[in-house]
Amino acid sequence: MTRRRRRWSIGHLLDGFFFVFAGLAAIWLAYLSLTQAFQVGWAGVLLAIVFWGLLAYLVLPRLHRILTSIYVPDYFMGRTRTSDGLLGDPVNLAVLGEREQIERALAAAGWIAADPVGWGSSWRIITSTLGRRSYPRAPVSPLFLFGRMQDLAYQQEVAGSPAQRHHVRFWQCPDGWLLPGGRRVDWLAAGTFDRAVGLSLFTLQVTHRIDADTDIERDHIVESLSGVPGVEVDVIRDFATGYHSRNGGGDSITTDGDLPILDVRAIRIPDAAESARSAPSADAGVER
Amino acid sequence: MRRPAATVAGGVLVLLRALSGAVWGAAVLFGLPPWLRATAGFANGDNIIPAEDTIDDLGLPPEVFVGVLGVVFLVQVVFGILLLWGSNAARVIVMIVSTISIVTAFVSWWEVGAEITVATTLVTLALDILVLLALSSRDAAAFARRNEKRD
Repeated sequence: MTRRRRRWSIGHLLDGFFFVFAGLAAIWLAYLSLTQAFQVGWAGVLLAIVFWGLLAYLVLPRLHRILTSIYVPDYFMGRTRTSDGLLGDPVNLAVLGEREQIERALAAAGWIAADPVGWGSSWRIITSTLGRRSYPRAPVSPLFLFGRMQDLAYQQEVAGSPAQRHHVRFWQCPDGWLLPGGRRVDWLAAGTFDRAVGLSLFTLQVTHRIDADTDIERDHIVESLSGVPGVEVDVIRDFATGYHSRNGGGDSITTDGDLPILDVRAIRIPDAAESARSAPSADAGVER
Repeated sequence: MRRPAATVAGGVLVLLRALSGAVWGAAVLFGLPPWLRATAGFANGDNIIPAEDTIDDLGLPPEVFVGVLGVVFLVQVVFGILLLWGSNAARVIVMIVSTISIVTAFVSWWEVGAEITVATTLVTLALDILVLLALSSRDAAAFARRNEKRD
């Protein structure tokens, strides 16, 4: 005799309760620190900074997460989502091929894999941006598609510091998943250009601002990759036009809606024996 | 699964509370300078007791004082370490304790009009809320539940 498993365990309900309660308590804390900031004289400047830090990095993200889980649908809509649940970079590229083939093609086209986000890399990107030093493998923030973080992240530094850079994230599509319209692709990607570091007026966080004309970056990525031998390009015209035809609806990006599909399946991956024989190189592996 | 920043933050905050409690207790026992006592007392709200009081003024035998503080210290250290290891039970218990403490402070602030300032209980309250925020995040929950069987 087996007991029927409850859909909602007590543990998950408790987690949900604490998630929301912590958000409310954080609002109260932000309010207290703000009122205290006005009462303690010059030390209030420090408290005001604490208030901003609390608000931007703890209170608002938690609130956004709670509200977006209610109001933002989780089906594919041609946009990625940030870790707060807000809409992020648009999906503007598709790829047919295996992971290794994509990595080889990107390396041959001059793209550099980004370091994963961690204490060391986060510290380094801050100091490199402030000190205007080069950090070609600077990490990129997590964006979510299919409910998970990007599988690959590549970038190209511009002007010698991480403040400005081309970057593109890739997600592997689930088995059997089809684009709206029924076409099958193996990977989806979102590429945008970080044009500056600034304070976002929406999230109050220090972050990269992207260039609103995402087609420039998309075309830059396609151009760099189509120069690699073995890569073919196809296009679905007006794929995303229906997603982005609303202006003034909070859409801060512009696009002509085309979805380029990069086919990298012709790129050869040398097997283990071949790699051991030949010297390592970043070439795409197609016979020259 | 890599230990997320939220779990580290929660565990470190609990361990810092344990440390500050120990420093405060030592400051009271050995008559250490009042500023050290006040600084250590911030984190645990121990600044309710006037900074000039010594162990004799408290009217407790030192053994009882050390005994009680020692138990509290040990419990906090054990929970801090369990949190860093990713124990879900420890996470839930610490969240419950923090919630009770926050609700208590809120009730006394709202109903009784008790002032919450930096000098009194704001730091303690802030640490409770930060611990709760850290431990209730999705990353910390996923890490603590990583060994659970999936349906």
